[in-house]
Amino acid sequence: MAQRHFRIGVMFSSTGSYSVVARSMLNGALLAFREIAAAGGPVTLEPVVVDPSGDLQRYRALALELLGSGIRQVVGCYTSSGRKEVIPCFEKFDGLLWYPSHYEGFESSDNVIYTGAAPNQHVLPLVDYLASRVGIRAYCVGSNYIWAWENNRIFREALTARGGTVVAERYLPVGDTEVDQVVAAILDQRPDFVFNNLIGTSGYAFFRAFRATCAARGIDQAREIPVASCTLSEPELAEIGPDAIDGHLASSVYFSSLKSPENAAFMAAYDQNFPDGPVVSADAEASYIAVKLLAAALQQAGTDDVRVVRAAVADRRLQAPQGEVRIDPQTYHAWLTPRIGRSAANGQFELLLEARNPVAPDPYLVQSSPRFAVAMRPPALRVVQS
Amino acid sequence: MTPRVLQNFKGGRALIVTGRGGPEGALETTLAKLGVASEHVPIVDGRAQLDVARLQADRDILFIDGDLEGVVPIEVNPSSRLPPAPVIGLVGVEAPSRLKALTNLGATSFLRKPVHGGAVYTSLFLGINQFLLRAEMYARLQNLEQRRAGRRAVVRSIIALMQQSGLDEDAAYSQLRRESMRARQSLEAYCEEFLSRRAQPPDNSGRTASMMLSGTDKQSL
Repeated sequence: MAQRHFRIGVMFSSTGSYSVVARSMLNGALLAFREIAAAGGPVTLEPVVVDPSGDLQRYRALALELLGSGIRQVVGCYTSSGRKEVIPCFEKFDGLLWYPSHYEGFESSDNVIYTGAAPNQHVLPLVDYLASRVGIRAYCVGSNYIWAWENNRIFREALTARGGTVVAERYLPVGDTEVDQVVAAILDQRPDFVFNNLIGTSGYAFFRAFRATCAARGIDQAREIPVASCTLSEPELAEIGPDAIDGHLASSVYFSSLKSPENAAFMAAYDQNFPDGPVVSADAEASYIAVKLLAAALQQAGTDDVRVVRAAVADRRLQAPQGEVRIDPQTYHAWLTPRIGRSAANGQFELLLEARNPVAPDPYLVQSSPRFAVAMRPPALRVVQS
Repeated sequence: MTPRVLQNFKGGRALIVTGRGGPEGALETTLAKLGVASEHVPIVDGRAQLDVARLQADRDILFIDGDLEGVVPIEVNPSSRLPPAPVIGLVGVEAPSRLKALTNLGATSFLRKPVHGGAVYTSLFLGINQFLLRAEMYARLQNLEQRRAGRRAVVRSIIALMQQSGLDEDAAYSQLRRESMRARQSLEAYCEEFLSRRAQPPDNSGRTASMMLSGTDKQSL
């Protein structure tokens, strides 16, 4: 077979409020590119790296620039707002976006391959864990955009179905670090736990302030009001800092502490290539998986035409650091292995629970949600006249 | 009362009525992702072979191509304007006459042809929930109509009770209301029964009125 060379767009906000995770994603993708180059073969890939800096308008402009330069395949985006901003560009100019992050679901564009977790692989296992082992009164916080709105909705419906309640929801602008009011409101309510969908610097500020305020009031935060997240990853634990690093619950398909030969090799290669960090995150692994699957599909297809590559990746399997990963041919999301972990002082997650096998993606929660939307509980009646 | 919103369409069956080959684009593949099975309805001699009697409103969704004229044998309920199952119009030629024809078939949502995958969930969500909302509104309307028709029985029962027990109007009403609640019936239905228990012939309204008047006179004496 003749040698084929493909330019691949790589679009992560390696600067901006959520740059820590995005840089680990960039590293995960670059590691896969390097391994593919080292292995040789009939296909060579050239990463073309761009940085939207967390600015939504830049996402669109850079996507158009990449597609305009003849690139058909792009690995990138972390936030759902960034992804939704660029999808119309990929649909209009017929490109394929490889989206390597967990997200809130309810989407399946023909121009996207989703290698991160769908909501049935992150938020629903977390609800099961929390309702059965922690409590049923939740306080939800999140960054004010589609990820937190939808993830909180899914969480609320699943928790309500288990007899639980969400006592309140609070949202902060992306990048906002003024968290004192939210912390005070949570402590007024004293929920069983906090469900956190804050991203980037907002999340780090919240974890620190919540732990410190609880300590000042004599509350053992990690034990009495734990914080549970679907976003929290190892590089973010390092950002939170040693005073509030431990005792946080996380639902994820990958933790860097997983014991397997594939993960050991991945971790060793990552640390060797990127000694200055940030350390590996679940989304870094998803980015690594995306590039590996893309390379395999390009090798089979021999072209970067979107339809041919899409057909080549359907049902493709990969022995990934998290275990076997497979692309579902119906939804073009990945079969992944849900896990629950708790952060420890060493900046790693202790594995608490894991699924026995990879779980099929269910982006629209067709298999795992009630037919009818769960209504918010109406305000309790109060006596206005005796 | 906030109506319930259907958001998971698992187990649904899409009956698709389109012309030759079907220009629906991503319709079937997207419906499959949403847990909805698709069936094409054949058209023979200009009529869609649809078994209307076997349609189930809580399972079936009709996707009807607006570019086909008069092939679908469904009829909307003249009072509720509801079709036997939710209808989503597939719009090719965007002309008022075609849209009107789909609306007359009871379409509560539309999809442009060729169908874009990203539009299907929204269209299904709107189409089915508008159908449910209309059905609920119609049920409420019918209930109100029924109660309106029953108001005469309430008035007659109040008067009868006033004659019988010497109560004033408010007290008679309160007693009837209390007893209807105890019987777990609407006030109107209870009053209908109240009157029938008193064995008043239904067609002697003139006589009843005179008896009431005489009764009232008697009580006032």
